[in-house]
Amino acid sequence: MSKNFKVSLGIDEDALASCVSCGLCLPHCPTYRVTQEETASPRGRIALMRQVEAAGVADDTFISFMDACIQCRGCETACPSGVPFGPMMETTREALADQTSYQPRYRRLGYSVLGMPRLLALGSRLIAVLQRLRLIPSRLALPRIPLRQTKLKASGDDVWLFTGCIMDAWMRDTHAAVKRVVESTGAGVRLPGNEAGCCGALHVHAGLTLKAKKLANKVIEAFPGTNPILVDSAGCGAQLKDYGHLLGTTKAAAFSSRVFDVHEWLAENLDKLPKINSDEPPVIVQDPCHLRHVQRSHEAVRLVMNQYIGTIELDDDGLCCGAGGAYSSLHPETAAEVRTRKLESINRSGGTNVVSANPGCMLHLQQAGVSIQHPLELVDSIIARAMKRE
Amino acid sequence: MNLGTTERQEFAASVAGTDLVTVVGGKTQWGVGGAIDPNARPISAPVGIYDYTPSEMTLRCGAGTTIGDIQNKLGEHNQMLPVDAKDESTIGGVLAVGRSGIRRLRYGAVRDYLLESWHADHEGKLVKSGGPTIKNVSGYDLCRLLVGSLGTLGFLAEVTVRSLPIPRCSQWMTGVCDPFELQSNLYRPSSILWNGIQVWVLLEGHPADVAREAEVTGLSECSGPPALPFAGRLSLRPKLLRELPQLYKQDWVAEIGVGLVHLSLPINNDQNSLSTMTVMRDIKKRLDPTGRLNPGREVF
Amino acid sequence: MSSKRKKTIFDELKALLGSRVRADDMELQLYGKDSSVLSGVPSTVCFPLDAEEVQGIVNICNRFQRPFIARGSGTGLAGGAVPVGNPVIISTAKMNKILDIDLEDRIAWVEPGVLNLDLSKALKEFGFHFAPDPSSQQVCSIGGNVANNSGGPHCLAYGVTTSHVLAAEVVLPNAEIVTLGGIDPEPTGYDLRGLFIGSEGTMGIATKIAVRLTPNPPDVRTLLLDFADVSDGALAVSAIINAGIIPAALEMMDHNAIGMIEAFVHAGYPVEAAAVLLVELDGLSGAVEAAVETIKDVAKIHNAGSVRIAKDETERALLWKGRKNAFGAVARIKPDYYLHDTVVPRSKLVEVLNQVYQAADKYDLIAINVFHAGDGNLHPILAYDAREPGILERVHSAGDAIIKASMDAGGVLSGEHGIGLEKRDFMHLLFSAHDMFTQDLIREAFDPQGLANPLKILPSGSRCSDSFKQHVPEGVWV
Ligand SMILES: Cc1cc2nc3c(=O)[nH]c(=O)nc-3n(C[C@H](O)[C@H](O)[C@H](O)COP(=O)(O)OP(=O)(O)OC[C@H]3O[C@@H](n4cnc5c(N)ncnc54)[C@H](O)[C@@H]3O)c2cc1C
Ligand code: SF4
Ligand code: SF4
Repeated sequence: MSKNFKVSLGIDEDALASCVSCGLCLPHCPTYRVTQEETASPRGRIALMRQVEAAGVADDTFISFMDACIQCRGCETACPSGVPFGPMMETTREALADQTSYQPRYRRLGYSVLGMPRLLALGSRLIAVLQRLRLIPSRLALPRIPLRQTKLKASGDDVWLFTGCIMDAWMRDTHAAVKRVVESTGAGVRLPGNEAGCCGALHVHAGLTLKAKKLANKVIEAFPGTNPILVDSAGCGAQLKDYGHLLGTTKAAAFSSRVFDVHEWLAENLDKLPKINSDEPPVIVQDPCHLRHVQRSHEAVRLVMNQYIGTIELDDDGLCCGAGGAYSSLHPETAAEVRTRKLESINRSGGTNVVSANPGCMLHLQQAGVSIQHPLELVDSIIARAMKRE
Repeated sequence: MNLGTTERQEFAASVAGTDLVTVVGGKTQWGVGGAIDPNARPISAPVGIYDYTPSEMTLRCGAGTTIGDIQNKLGEHNQMLPVDAKDESTIGGVLAVGRSGIRRLRYGAVRDYLLESWHADHEGKLVKSGGPTIKNVSGYDLCRLLVGSLGTLGFLAEVTVRSLPIPRCSQWMTGVCDPFELQSNLYRPSSILWNGIQVWVLLEGHPADVAREAEVTGLSECSGPPALPFAGRLSLRPKLLRELPQLYKQDWVAEIGVGLVHLSLPINNDQNSLSTMTVMRDIKKRLDPTGRLNPGREVF
Repeated sequence: MSSKRKKTIFDELKALLGSRVRADDMELQLYGKDSSVLSGVPSTVCFPLDAEEVQGIVNICNRFQRPFIARGSGTGLAGGAVPVGNPVIISTAKMNKILDIDLEDRIAWVEPGVLNLDLSKALKEFGFHFAPDPSSQQVCSIGGNVANNSGGPHCLAYGVTTSHVLAAEVVLPNAEIVTLGGIDPEPTGYDLRGLFIGSEGTMGIATKIAVRLTPNPPDVRTLLLDFADVSDGALAVSAIINAGIIPAALEMMDHNAIGMIEAFVHAGYPVEAAAVLLVELDGLSGAVEAAVETIKDVAKIHNAGSVRIAKDETERALLWKGRKNAFGAVARIKPDYYLHDTVVPRSKLVEVLNQVYQAADKYDLIAINVFHAGDGNLHPILAYDAREPGILERVHSAGDAIIKASMDAGGVLSGEHGIGLEKRDFMHLLFSAHDMFTQDLIREAFDPQGLANPLKILPSGSRCSDSFKQHVPEGVWV
């Protein structure tokens, strides 16, 4: 029996009341799909929040139920009543992090590293070396981290490219490809300095709101001016777009209004992209949750891709792949079960190669042997091949 | 008071008593389920159509009303009851026996056409089940239980059935082909019959569609289905019909996609497990404790 | 520790199911509710994986004389899965495999926890679907469909669940496993299959179900007609049927419904209209095209503003998404809703709809109508905020008025949601004491001890030898 402790979640009362328990969200929730249990469903989680809010007490069981949510927000797009599940869950986690031992010291420490680019780079370098020496067990399922990173160079100042933390440390090649595609429209790309760093998405998910706000302020300072800020990671993009709400300042709102997923921006500039005839076989589009369910701009990926290549749709209505930011490392078993459903859907689709506009999804699926790229990496390679031919 | 109320009350009263009783319909399927105890007192169900609103596609009538009368009435408004029973059969008899017509492939089982019923129970009391509307899930679905119960649980006094529009065009086709392949090439044909060699298919619907599907069949037009042998009746899962030619050399006609076989040999099958029989027996005992309703008839 | 404690029902269930039996307070409460406004609390929740485990649970319940309740996805709208009498909840959610798809027999055997839409999706590549399509089809289970004899928009032409279920393996309340019905056309004996379907879990638990596969229609056309007057829309419904057309679906949504649906789907529903009809025609192209023309004529005669024909599958899907999410979208108006499910003769639609609006006005509530007009199956939704003091009395009074109006018009209590706990005290409006006594006799043949989902469907009084006589406990109502 776990101990009860006092807690006040502070969720907006109307939001909490707005769920009519219809259950229509259940099949769109990855954790419900793999457990078939109400405690792991959006409807159940909301009911649990109501219980705790009414009683003013919670226990570890409640925390574990809340912690098992991937925060993919698939339930939100499925919900006909417009229940704001994402914010409700963020509020819940913030309350738990503030008022309980939900986020132990070591986890908090881990999240802090994300906000320290130099430390992260150093750590990553270390991991990379250890990987080469085969000193890191492969069951940790870390991606193979490059030993040396090419340095990105600015090419103008029409648009910003947001580079972030992990992605910049581990997958800079993706940034390079994205940058080339953006440049192919004739736009010059400006890069933030090292101080931009982490967007704070993982911190918000973990309930570490204060830390997230600090990071947000740093990010905003790193992107002066009014030019569009392009993001090639769906998770970061969703977070940057939410700064207005997170910080509640006009400055932050103005910043957020400049943020675009890079595909959104390209979709507005389709006519400027190089025209190329390619006969590539179609590729499967896997929608990152934060693009489809949060930014709701997943169609833009198709618009851009279809300039060069056909796209194959999965039949799972955008069900999460299980990556979920830090989720796959904190709940590896559930994450793997969720991924199995995605793999089955990929198998049924008839295609083989997959694109996904989020580093987390890419890594998570790659670990299961999926051949996956960022959409713009693929576009970049198609353009490059065509250039070579000419 | 509703039209028909007196009739059903009088009918129920005629059931009351402690003697053996049997309800007699058109006697077109009298033999089904075995011979009635000769001591049973015959009574007959009320006759008459009490209510028919074409736009509701429902008709309420006494259970003793003949199928012929019902079809005539419905026909006035271009509607029908897709049961394919003899004209002189009564609706109560058709439902009590529960055998569907040869157009079951498209229109479904006859049991699905009973919406509401009034039956007289073993004490001569009236019991209403179901509801008069096309859709209804209020209470237990006793109507389904009564269909096919051969009057052993209660005697139908009055029924409300649902009707359908008569298709604009109906065409029987016949010839030699693989009936199973034919079934997968057509979209919801009304009937496919097969005797091991020859195939008959009924196409119904819009004339343009019937013409197009007729072409797909590659068969030639004919005036109607073959006469069905009636000595035996087999109920098989549809795919088993494939094996019929190896099993029976005799006269038979099979309903493809449905699984019914009409044979000239007196062969019937039986496949309920014993445990379900326990519940069936219990139901019979509860609804007719003294066994006075249609004595002699065996449903299982 | 030498003293042997007497084994509790929980201990025994635990021994059978291990971690798949739960009794954590928080978790139990989640299984105290379905999609209706009722709630209770179970004593235990079990997640069996197969018929044998269900049998084991039912056996234990028998030994402890403890009621048990099957639960599918918990989307029932009449409180069918709501616990009464400290029961054991048997969730079928983990029994969710499609066991066999037999294209030759055109049937599929499925476990009860398979979701309705998952089944149709799995059948798609073969050109078939499962015809009953409740608006909750993305989440409701086939077991729940069987238990409630569920309908859906397309049941106008195709019929409700009972027409599409051939057989079911059932764990009877005495824990015997039997098969009811058969996949041959004329199984011997009484139609226990037909009796079981719609019995809301009071005659046992379905553990395997044989469903009929319906071929996908070669041609489908979806039309949206809008009306400036609700009565015109309702009259058009009868006119369409009178013209000899049975559309695959014929749905009506009123002004309030259109607003909340459009806010969710952005499908271009005419938010100004007083009502819209969503009409679907399917089948072979000749019939479909002819019907489209007829409906255009009907639309003109009954003053429809316009007839929009979905141009492709995407538009069609979007229109349906709106319709199918309507109940769920209610919270856009008010956070709670109370829903009825009466059926009235089509010719009485206008009259009864007016009475619905009057009842709502009288009790100062918002009425939303979105329903299966072709079947005359009304779904008047009364939207309210439970936090408002005194509101529940008003909601109930208005509900009573609506039920009375429907019964007076010659209708029935429930078209598809079932009676459950919520409507059982209205049963007497439809049935005499003797009718209900007879129904109870039959129920008892299945469940003499009254352990299977007790107190549902029939009001307590109709039980004859109720060994488990219980009144609905305080607080269960809302
Ligand atoms: C938004 C929304 C729209 C809806 N639209 C429709 C509609 O259009 N048409 C319609 O008919 N209904 C509709 N419903 C009602 C509901 O979805 C159906 O009744 C559905 O069939 C219930 O399925 P379930 O799996 O959720 O069952 P549950 O709610 O879990 O259970 C319902 C009943 O079935 C019993 N039961 C469940 N599984 C079994 C089993 N294996 N064996 C025996 N008994 C069992 C339970 O004990 C209970 O009595 C709607 C509901 C919602 C929330
Ligand atoms: S969150 Fe939305 S979809 Fe899910 S149960 Fe609540 S109202 Fe229904
Ligand atoms: S955010 Fe994702 S995992 Fe969490 S409840 Fe919603 S759908 Fe489920």
